[in-house]
Amino acid sequence: MASQDKLTQRPDTLSALLTPPLLKVDGLSVAYGRRTVVDDVGFDLARGRSLALIGESGSGKSTIAKAVLRLLPDGAHADGRIAFNGQDILKQSERHFRTLRGRAIGFVPQDPANALNPVRAIGAQAQEAAALTDEPNKALRKALILDTFAEVGLDNPGRVYDSYPHQLSGGMLQRVLIGLAVLPRPALLVADEPTSALDVTIQKRILDLLSRLQHDLDISLLLITHDLAIASERADKLVVLKDGTVQEAGRTQDVFSAPSSAYARKLHADVPALNPDRYAALRDPGFHRLDGREGTATKIAVEGVSKTFSVDGKSLTAVDRISFSVAAGTTHALVGESGSGKTTTIRLLLGLDEPDAGRITVSGETISGSDRGSQRAVWRHLQLVYQNPFTSLDPTWSVEQLVREPLDRYRIGTVAERRAQVREALANVGLGDHLLQRKPGALSGGQRQRVAIARTLVLRPDVIVLDEPTSALDVSVQADIVEVLLSLQANLGLTYVFVSHDLALVRQLAHTVSVMRKGRIVEHGSVTDIFDTPRQPYTRALLDSIPAGVHASQTATHKAANLRQEIFA
Amino acid sequence: MNRSYLDYAAKRIGQAVIVILLSYVFTFIVVSVLPGDPITNVLRDPQNGFSEQEIQQIIAAQGLDRPVLVQLWASLSQFLSGDLGLSMRSNRPVSTLIAEVLPSTLVLATSGLAVAIVLALVIGYGTQFLPRRYGQGLLRGFPSLFLSVPNFVIGLVLIHIFGFQLGLFRVINADSFWATFFAAVALGIPVSAQIAEVLIANLDHEARQDYAAVARGRGISQSRLFFRHLLKPSALPVVTVVALTVGELLGGSLITETVYGRTGIGSLVQRSVTTQDLPVIQAVVSLAAVAFVVVNLLADLVYPLLDPRVKLIGTVKPRPATGDDAFDDRVEGIPS
Repeated sequence: MASQDKLTQRPDTLSALLTPPLLKVDGLSVAYGRRTVVDDVGFDLARGRSLALIGESGSGKSTIAKAVLRLLPDGAHADGRIAFNGQDILKQSERHFRTLRGRAIGFVPQDPANALNPVRAIGAQAQEAAALTDEPNKALRKALILDTFAEVGLDNPGRVYDSYPHQLSGGMLQRVLIGLAVLPRPALLVADEPTSALDVTIQKRILDLLSRLQHDLDISLLLITHDLAIASERADKLVVLKDGTVQEAGRTQDVFSAPSSAYARKLHADVPALNPDRYAALRDPGFHRLDGREGTATKIAVEGVSKTFSVDGKSLTAVDRISFSVAAGTTHALVGESGSGKTTTIRLLLGLDEPDAGRITVSGETISGSDRGSQRAVWRHLQLVYQNPFTSLDPTWSVEQLVREPLDRYRIGTVAERRAQVREALANVGLGDHLLQRKPGALSGGQRQRVAIARTLVLRPDVIVLDEPTSALDVSVQADIVEVLLSLQANLGLTYVFVSHDLALVRQLAHTVSVMRKGRIVEHGSVTDIFDTPRQPYTRALLDSIPAGVHASQTATHKAANLRQEIFA
Repeated sequence: MNRSYLDYAAKRIGQAVIVILLSYVFTFIVVSVLPGDPITNVLRDPQNGFSEQEIQQIIAAQGLDRPVLVQLWASLSQFLSGDLGLSMRSNRPVSTLIAEVLPSTLVLATSGLAVAIVLALVIGYGTQFLPRRYGQGLLRGFPSLFLSVPNFVIGLVLIHIFGFQLGLFRVINADSFWATFFAAVALGIPVSAQIAEVLIANLDHEARQDYAAVARGRGISQSRLFFRHLLKPSALPVVTVVALTVGELLGGSLITETVYGRTGIGSLVQRSVTTQDLPVIQAVVSLAAVAFVVVNLLADLVYPLLDPRVKLIGTVKPRPATGDDAFDDRVEGIPS
């Protein structure tokens, strides 16, 4: 171990001695009016190396990226020093700095779906990037673009060139954007959450692409991410941010394996991928129900259900003869990428769509999308927690109104009883009475999602459908919500159907899993079987895409070290 | 030009024809039920000096003694064959009367629209790039200012400053270049306000989109960002607004023509209304309707060509129906 450390340490110290860092940020503070969002942040990034800024929303990580690119919005004021190649970026005139943008500093944005002008062809926008190469011949520029598209793994560069953004998938668009960013061969690439809007398997491929380009083209990478596992897998150095200040910074291995600050330790503990058994104590009793030791009945049975939609005159089988069952008091996870049929499955489960074939029963009652009366009855058993608590709660209603609404609609109890039930539901999710009169706008993301859960609990359902309930939340908040959900299950015996693309999270809280692909269930079983011995290649691909943190990069370094020994032996 | 676009265009053109016919019928009915009988008011006015025999001749020639529905049918079939009838007052063909004054109004209306668009673009560009300390806020206030001042006031102020004070154009000679220019400015300013309001809102929206930041990250210039990236998506809703301002332009032209002493559709309408010259009124109102419908039709036809994302009617996937239940908010939350 010691010798390996020396091997990996040496290039760092050497390069630091020989050349000044490509990017040196020193005492950077950014304020919007009087509100300081970044406070005295400093770090440096050597040529050809990578550094990750890690933090949750509000940590200032994206603001730092924008400051480096000088894309801060009007009204933001940046102080301190950002030296790129020894020149202070903040002091340069816009006219002068523009020659660096794109040419020397490339930018890969967060959400590829919004990062290209929707009404212009991709080729026209690619030409803007190609113009930075000073190649005067338009035909040569186009050839260069097509070449770059092929290099970033786009199958049909010519077709991509002529397409409009909405005609390509998110993964393809992100490849286009990475291609455009590296095309002028910048020395520094700033990637702001480059994969958080993408499917898991695509995420891994895009990160692999970025790593490969970084090494092949000798580009420095400034990676902005909320995901500690991704950061530690991909970056040489980490800077952990919270509320605009640096909590901890250093070499990845040091920060990852021995975090010194309390915040970094908490961040580490909250990442599902790094802590598969964190909630074992709360979850594991559920397994007893599963193997029949506690003699529980089947709560949900889905038998041979199919659903076909017609889109643009073509018929599309969204769900194809799927079957699964969920034992009472357990959690069943549906995992798969976008378009795999997860959402259609829960729509059918909630009776929002009518299956073309097959049967769905919940607590012995058959769900039918066409009969509104029975649907209302089913909805008292079956409730939904929606993905994004920032849009699922009416901003003009108070917490009390929001949580009481289902009771009002179903005319349950007297006014006093309803009030008591609302308080009980809020207490169940760990919210106090003092929040009753608040509007959603005055709540944090985690509190909003708790309100959304409380809202489903007032009707005392026995099944709750959780549609990516934590994907819009920060990891630490996500951990809170998972804890709330698991303790509710333990206390109230709830059955969950949990839809997620986050396999690490699924492993933490589900008992059984169905892996969906193109409308079919390709594999199902207990969570331990699926995760430990996946039989299908697709499942293996999904599992491989879980970022493993520093262990993966350690083995890579290890491999490199072995290789070096072999060659120089 | 694919199949679905042709279907879409055919459907839109059909709708436009129906709207024009309905507006003709509607105008005809409104004009005929209006209080005041043109025959008594105008023909029998002793000042006009028509003899009873001449009055009967005019009535017979115009077919005014027939039932209203028969008159409507006759008038409509004439209109469809392009014959707008004879003016009751001068006995000249209405189409000739209109042809005499139409060019002047068209020149005024199109140059007014051009002024409006240029002004809106300048204001729009300024709101994106003018630094705050050079009065960006003031610039953003311009549209509401323009909207709140009536265009005849603007017209009179312009005449006063540029005509009387600076002597740039002779107020009497209404057809000189400068007179037309300032008439167009007076007409264009309130119209530019409507266009600018929508343009600014959309520019602000587009400028906040990721792609604008990414494009700037590609090192492109300010003007390229504006004209190549922000303008096109922002201009899409503006196309609709411009089409809707046709009414404003026509109405504004009438007022501006009066203020600037220009002959045009405005003066023709004014004369016909005071003399209750029904065929002329009917023709002008129908022409206005045609102009309005045609311009909006053009906007509808251009829109899908400008925006590659527009889904044409008939290809949109219908959403599953949801009821009036307690959980509708969640139902909508599920993307299908």
